[in-house]
Amino acid sequence: MSSYFVFGRRATVRASFAVGLLPILVFALLPAVAVFVISFTDVRALPFLPVNWVGVENYKSFFSAAHLGYNVNALKNTFIFAFLVTIIQNVLALLIAVLFNQPLRGTTFYRSVVFLPTILGVTVIGLIWSLMFNPTASPGAAIWHWFGANTAFFGDPKIALYLVIFVQVWAGIGVAVVIYLAGLQAIPAELYEVASIDGASSWQKLRLITYPLLAPSVTANMLLCIVGSLQSYQLIYVLTGPNNDATQVLSLAIFTQGFGGSAAGGSAQSQGYAAAISVVQFVMVGVISLIVLAYLRKREERL
Amino acid sequence: MSNQAVSKEPAEGTAARRDSGGRRPEPTPAHEHRPRRFPLGRLLSYLAVLVVMVLYLFPLLFLLNTALKSNAEFFSNPLGMVKHLAINNFSQAWRQGNFGAYMLNSILYTAVAAGLGTFISLLVGFPVSRGYLKHTKLWYGLFVAMLFLPNSLVTQFQLVLRLNLYDTRLGYMLMMAAGVGVGPLLVAGYVKSVPVELDEAAALDGVGYLRYLFGFLPALLKPVLSTIFILQAIGVWNDIILATILLPDQTKSPVTLGLFAFQGTYTSQWSLLSAATIIVAAPLLVAYVFLQRYLVASVVGGAVKG
Repeated sequence: MSSYFVFGRRATVRASFAVGLLPILVFALLPAVAVFVISFTDVRALPFLPVNWVGVENYKSFFSAAHLGYNVNALKNTFIFAFLVTIIQNVLALLIAVLFNQPLRGTTFYRSVVFLPTILGVTVIGLIWSLMFNPTASPGAAIWHWFGANTAFFGDPKIALYLVIFVQVWAGIGVAVVIYLAGLQAIPAELYEVASIDGASSWQKLRLITYPLLAPSVTANMLLCIVGSLQSYQLIYVLTGPNNDATQVLSLAIFTQGFGGSAAGGSAQSQGYAAAISVVQFVMVGVISLIVLAYLRKREERL
Repeated sequence: MSNQAVSKEPAEGTAARRDSGGRRPEPTPAHEHRPRRFPLGRLLSYLAVLVVMVLYLFPLLFLLNTALKSNAEFFSNPLGMVKHLAINNFSQAWRQGNFGAYMLNSILYTAVAAGLGTFISLLVGFPVSRGYLKHTKLWYGLFVAMLFLPNSLVTQFQLVLRLNLYDTRLGYMLMMAAGVGVGPLLVAGYVKSVPVELDEAAALDGVGYLRYLFGFLPALLKPVLSTIFILQAIGVWNDIILATILLPDQTKSPVTLGLFAFQGTYTSQWSLLSAATIIVAAPLLVAYVFLQRYLVASVVGGAVKG
């Protein structure tokens, strides 16, 4: 892909490229690579303390008796969260996309409404749902009362995680819907016409045309959703705080262990340990996405 | 890599096409061949749409309804429609939450970080796309790798700390600007649609590289540059985690953090909290009303490329 350079001296293009690349290298790539390095140290949040090389101590510590319960709980929550969000979000998004793809009035409006939370941000979404599910006086409480039950909602360890999953799906489904809609609209209408002439039923058309031809969208959505939900914690942080066992996930644990859960500052604990959790998570997300990608690719070929 | 998997997905193009045309011109064939079932099927579809719309619009309307009540009215009748408009909730929230200052912070951070990020994307995306540099593959690889970085909260904090940029607006904005995400890839992809002859013609006329890059290209790349700006602006405006870590001084908080702190202070004063939430969401909602078609296409284009 090399073409000759038309603007005379290449020094200018090299220099301007370097100017653009520098902030990316320093502020994005360097921290990412440094995570692996400092996960072997006991670096602290205070700059004047000495930094010691501690080898795999942080990783040992991750699996040590003192931390294992906490980490197993965080891992368990991460998997429940990611699994349920991915499945529910994709199934519902597909249904909604099929619904919006019908010749109804105002589909553009419906689509924009479902997409709206994508731009609202976690703080606003968190407050909206804290209001909807506030324990004393809210629509959520009213619904629970119909069933003769009481709950503290986000404060109830039994259901907090599932409520957070609900809000996450509510907030994130718009992107999936729009991707599925685009996939549906890319299927040539002639295929359906030919199938109709051949006497195919609606179900057969769904099974034999829509389903296989939508496979690339399914792959894209599933993967986006898995990678996203395995690493997502912002909404959980806003809804249930950084130190809630019921909703503790691995990526939130990085924040909690690195910054003590409240505003950063004079925390004297080792951030090397938090970096080690980052590495564990990075490997986990990588392995899971590659496995799922391989599976979905195979599935696409079979269809 | 997963990037190839998702790039097969034609979402961006079709979404954009659909957007420019508005409503689809043809009804789906599924309905064409069974006109008899039309009314019932249609009714069920509209019912399903209604359920979805209620799930999305009710929380927003309930928020607005709550924001318009006085605190006393909310507690005496939390679920009913507002009877006595308490508009002063908004001014009270604005003052007590100090949202004017937070809003200015957010506008500054968003404009600078998204602007700088877009600038960086142009600076690095164009020459790589044209092959004006050596190691084209390496740079592409780097742009893709940028999308799969580990969670680096701790090292971002350490870097800013050690550069003496902790608790400075500059440090935060640089960090947010560097999170360019799909920016360089989007520029590189779009530049392919700009004929290389334009470069040559400009060069023949004695236009230098930098003048071409900053004087001529932005006009040609306007769609992709505005997409990148919007994507990054949404990210910066809504950020809460990095702001928490890098900007402990409350006077430098963006509006998201201001709202979060406000929630902590006025725990169960739901009317005031709702008013504050609407204040924070209002700029986004207004922008969304005008940009929604464009936004849907660009966010999904960005997400799919990522």
